Amino acid sequence: MVLAQILLNGILLGGLYGLMALGMALVWGVLNIVNLAHGALIMLGGYVVYYIFVFTGLDPFAAIAVAMVIMFGVGFLLQYGLLNLIVRSALLNTLLITFGLDVVITYLAQFLFTADFRTINPSYAGANFSAFGLTVPGIRFAAFVVAIALAAALWWLLNRRPLGLAIRATSQNLVAARLYGVDPRILYAVTFGIGTALAGAAGGLYGMIANLTPYIGASLTAKSFVIAIIGGLTNPFNVILGGIVVGIAESLATLYFGATYSDVVSFGLLVLVLVVRPTRTLRAA
Amino acid sequence: MNEVANVAPQAKTIMEARGITKRFQGLVSVDKVSFSLAENEILGLIGPNGAGKTTLVNMIGGTLKPNEGDLLFEGERINDVSPYRRAHLGIARTFQIMKPFPGMSVLENVAVGALFGRDGGEKSMAKAREIAREWITFTGLGQRMDAHADALGGPDRKRLEFAKALAMGPKLLLLDEVMAGLNHVEVDEMVELIKKIRARGVTLLVIEHVIKAIRSLSDRVMVLHHGERIAEGDPALVLADPRVVEAYLGKRRT
Repeated sequence: MVLAQILLNGILLGGLYGLMALGMALVWGVLNIVNLAHGALIMLGGYVVYYIFVFTGLDPFAAIAVAMVIMFGVGFLLQYGLLNLIVRSALLNTLLITFGLDVVITYLAQFLFTADFRTINPSYAGANFSAFGLTVPGIRFAAFVVAIALAAALWWLLNRRPLGLAIRATSQNLVAARLYGVDPRILYAVTFGIGTALAGAAGGLYGMIANLTPYIGASLTAKSFVIAIIGGLTNPFNVILGGIVVGIAESLATLYFGATYSDVVSFGLLVLVLVVRPTRTLRAA
Repeated sequence: MNEVANVAPQAKTIMEARGITKRFQGLVSVDKVSFSLAENEILGLIGPNGAGKTTLVNMIGGTLKPNEGDLLFEGERINDVSPYRRAHLGIARTFQIMKPFPGMSVLENVAVGALFGRDGGEKSMAKAREIAREWITFTGLGQRMDAHADALGGPDRKRLEFAKALAMGPKLLLLDEVMAGLNHVEVDEMVELIKKIRARGVTLLVIEHVIKAIRSLSDRVMVLHHGERIAEGDPALVLADPRVVEAYLGKRRT
């Protein structure tokens, strides 16, 4: 029974992990940028949701929708004004500039929001319900549902909408996509904007189940990186699945070894996957 | 005034190149080439390997910029117009080395052309799919609608290139060696297909090594050699021109 409960917790947490990685995988796959500032953008999104919630009293889940719009704008401008300069250039350039961006966003957040711990704490924060004899934490369950819904929305966008076709065409063959009439600069900015909006949603959900500080970015980037590689860069549902795998592994590790070892587990898993099936996982990368 | 009415109306020029030159470091790939294309004309472009044919097409398509000279499309200078805006203007091309979007179905590949082609393309997904289906059928790929693009064989990939370019609704279509590697029957099918495309009002610039096809398709033929235009005009005359024969086969021994 304990094991079942641990598995459930891992799955619910894993959905959120998957959502964290979704934006990173999208940007990586289409723009070939390994965005080291991704975790910082998740953090920023968390604070945006927090302040909307605190100052307007809007329900956090509604605040997430608003934050996604704001974060889309942030991402669009970042890409259009800055990252378009290095898109499709050597990987090292993209790592350097996004690392710099990570530092700037982190300390800007420290300056603006202070280093105090913040939690998005709606009245129903502690609510649970039980199903099949297991306790289901309400917020985590809702976060899981939101993550799945956003992955489904991204899948729909990529496979059923003109914009998504342009995104996929550009990621598969930039030169040809331009000749078929796709403007890459705008398309890149929109793609990065979508990735940032997804990061913002993940940040809002994260702020409801854990503490927000300006310094959470780096470890969230690392986690997203691992999940993006495990889940691959093309199918949103695989990314969520990758998140669930990591979530379960972490929960089991916490049970058997203690919480301090959870990061070791996710990276250990990455090494394991790369050793066992390197071609399949990295084919899309 | 009556005399004027008896004269066939001068065909409108759709595209014009004025002395365009492309250099790669010291090497001159295209050297002061001028030509024009009349609306709905088929111009054959031939020349030995390395003559600069593909470079010329790349400059028209916008992936390369000429060092000198002007390119005009419907009277507007397009030297500095980016490739995607040229696609919106109505210029489309196929590639000698085919470039399908490998992770997409045939239908999706062609829908990309319809969604972002001339004038920015079709906005509705359903409409774009409809247009795509039409051109896929037109090019004879109807049976492979939902196949993955990288599962297609050589001739079918060429048809896919055609369908993608046509779905853009181009005014000018640049064909870069679409018949290379095809057998006799397939070449004849391709010639028929190109004739059908012209019948739809499209202007074509056709690069081809298959002389039989060039002869039966082209209204005019232009020959490039070492980046220079060495002959241009009626296909039968040009192909019999001693300089052209020499460029292809070497000098006749006397």
